[in-house]
Amino acid sequence: MMTARRPEFIDALTGIVGAGQVLSDPDCLEAYGHDEFSLKDIRRSPDLAVRPRTAAEVAAVLKLANEHGVPVTPRGGATGLCGGCVPAAGGIVLSLERMKGIVIDPANQMAEAEAGVTLIEFEKAVDEAGFNFPPHPGEESAMIGGMIVTNAGGSRAVKYGVIRNYVRGLEVVTAAGDILNLGGKLIKSSTGYSLMHLFIGSEGTLGVVTKAVIQLRAKPALTRSLVIPFETLDAAVETVPEIFRRDIVPLALEFVPLDVIRLTEAHLQRTWPSHDGETHLFVILDAASEDEMDRLSESVAEAALERGALDVFIADTAAKQDNVLAIRSRMYEALKAETIEILDVCVPRAEIPGHVKRVSEIAAKYGVWLPTFGHAGDGNVHTHLMKARYENGRFVPVPEAEWRAALEPVRAEIYADGMARGGVISGEHGIGLVKKPYLAMSLSPAQVELMRGIKRVFDPRGILNPGKIFD
Amino acid sequence: MNMIVFVKRVPDTESRIRIQRETSTVIEEGLNFVISPNDEYAVEEGLRLREAQGGKVTAVSLGGDEALTILRKCLAMGADEALLIKDDRKETYDGLRVARILAAAVRTRFADADLLLFGRLSVGADNAQVPAMTAELLGWPQATVVTRLAIEGRAGTAHREIEGAVEKVVFTLPAVVAAQKGLNEPRYETLKGIMAAKKKTIPAVAPAELGLTAEDIAPRVEVLSLETPPAKTGGRLLGGTPEEAARELVRLLRDEAKVV
Ligand SMILES: Cc1cc2nc3c(=O)[nH]c(=O)nc-3n(C[C@H](O)[C@H](O)[C@H](O)COP(=O)(O)OP(=O)(O)OC[C@H]3O[C@@H](n4cnc5c(N)ncnc54)[C@H](O)[C@@H]3O)c2cc1C
Repeated sequence: MMTARRPEFIDALTGIVGAGQVLSDPDCLEAYGHDEFSLKDIRRSPDLAVRPRTAAEVAAVLKLANEHGVPVTPRGGATGLCGGCVPAAGGIVLSLERMKGIVIDPANQMAEAEAGVTLIEFEKAVDEAGFNFPPHPGEESAMIGGMIVTNAGGSRAVKYGVIRNYVRGLEVVTAAGDILNLGGKLIKSSTGYSLMHLFIGSEGTLGVVTKAVIQLRAKPALTRSLVIPFETLDAAVETVPEIFRRDIVPLALEFVPLDVIRLTEAHLQRTWPSHDGETHLFVILDAASEDEMDRLSESVAEAALERGALDVFIADTAAKQDNVLAIRSRMYEALKAETIEILDVCVPRAEIPGHVKRVSEIAAKYGVWLPTFGHAGDGNVHTHLMKARYENGRFVPVPEAEWRAALEPVRAEIYADGMARGGVISGEHGIGLVKKPYLAMSLSPAQVELMRGIKRVFDPRGILNPGKIFD
Repeated sequence: MNMIVFVKRVPDTESRIRIQRETSTVIEEGLNFVISPNDEYAVEEGLRLREAQGGKVTAVSLGGDEALTILRKCLAMGADEALLIKDDRKETYDGLRVARILAAAVRTRFADADLLLFGRLSVGADNAQVPAMTAELLGWPQATVVTRLAIEGRAGTAHREIEGAVEKVVFTLPAVVAAQKGLNEPRYETLKGIMAAKKKTIPAVAPAELGLTAEDIAPRVEVLSLETPPAKTGGRLLGGTPEEAARELVRLLRDEAKVV
């Protein structure tokens, strides 16, 4: 019998985390065997799931697992899109779901949050304390720990950066069960290597994050959303550098195709301000005063109209802003039933038009539908690989054999184009299991070898999230 | 068709309202102001009727100079003209006073109006009095809480949202209609609209110019006090085993909440 399922091992774990917090019933375990990646191919139930409450419990679990060589896969909100928290090698899934403490320190304008605090819980606490936290992956059940180890971004990254820019301190547990306190409530530190930054983006392969110190911002006084329809994709994305040239950094700057807008409208029973053109820019501005806001909006509008925008629609009341934001942020939900995978290529901003054009050529070449939209402001393009086409306002399913045959070559060609433009295969979702075969397109063998060496330092027996990022 | 849409400037529905206790007023500092959402449905309905049948839409607001921004928004949405009735009094919560001023404005400035469009109520004051009172003062038919409106020739049909049912009323023009959420989906302002609106001037009139005396416009409602609702207290988590928690819950429901 596998060590993990031996009664003595289960008893020892129960001794650490308490009765009811070690799950071994296959029906319960199934829920711990997947994330938001759609294909069942990669699913795998763990042998056990444990739900510790404290860092000390996490440490004791890891120490025990390490002694017995049992794999441990940390799990946050399981909103990941590349199978990161799937226990590919079996063993234990260590779920942070019960670690929910939040303390806000207004004097330092920082929050201390345990790994299992969800984004929605965190934003609520931060908002109530009068502050703001910009990073925002689109799925609000993501957890602080998961967000940090995937270096999550979201659409506000263009102005305020990804989560790495906000993490000031981390409490992490290494494979051997040591608790490390890295960084702190500090803006600066030139004190040795920054181990903390190694953990950001480590996808659970170096240690388990149990707590984080997070920098907060003041709330923006005013926000306003603009919806700008263009006749062509090119005109839309070519407007982006024009906006930055005017020294304007929008809070968010997204491009979306009209067909995706339409199907999301139908899905949500909501209406987008305009159905003109083919591609729309969705811009969110923040400013301290009405005058400043007017100046910014006029300047963005001017840049857009010079590039052939059909008009500029303005949402400035809370209700209208919520409406357009709901449609933009729930596009995934509208596509989800027919989505195989969401790619996450990030290219230099100026390469977006070229890359997106190439994606449409690839779509034509393989006869597939590749709805593509994303963060025009920061070069992060989300191409959706679909198992349906969209014709006359409805999904038309593609036979499985057909979409499976196209999957590999379509991915590979899109990645090849992204890399040729100086991009990376993941801008914000991580590598996990699903993108692992393509890592070599982004990183040289020497870089991957250095990463392996780092992994061995923190996790010599290789128990932490084995099989992720690289083998 | 000649349509007058009455709009009011109110705090954004998502603002956190703070109160100045001494003066029983809402503290305006830090608030974001918008067209009252129901009024926006009225503007949209006017614009749609004009687009379908021709005519003219004039937006009218009673208020201080701050109200010019929302009138400009109405112009940006597509209203043909706007008028500010200058009122230096802050919120009086006196619906009859407002109705008297608006009715006077209609008699003196818009005697040829076919349709007066209002929002069902202005958020904030929440009185829902002005449309009905204005209709009454003018002796015109009225339909309030309207979620569907059709005008054909001189006849109007409106669907009113009433408790548990929809009431269908017919009326003849001129008439007063008060819009309810659901009537339409207001359009977004466009930059082109805003640019065009900037070129228009918005005239202002004082109540005296509408033939009203000081007594006519004196408020007859006095606000004695204004309070924010009590803060919601957080929920309580019951710990222990499920059995213990259930026992404790029953005890609390019986002894504290006294509901079982
Ligand atoms: C609709 C939708 C929209 C999205 N939009 C965005 C977006 O705009 N931007 C963006 O960046 N992402 C986005 N994502 C992806 C996803 O939400 C993020 O990757 C998120 O940061 C993952 O957090 P999680 O808690 O769900 O992590 P999980 O999926 O649970 O885990 C992700 C990885 O982190 C590891 N892990 C989790 N917790 C810990 C911990 N405490 N210690 C160590 N390792 C841990 C796991 O082992 C796994 O490798 C989106 C996802 C969805 C479904």
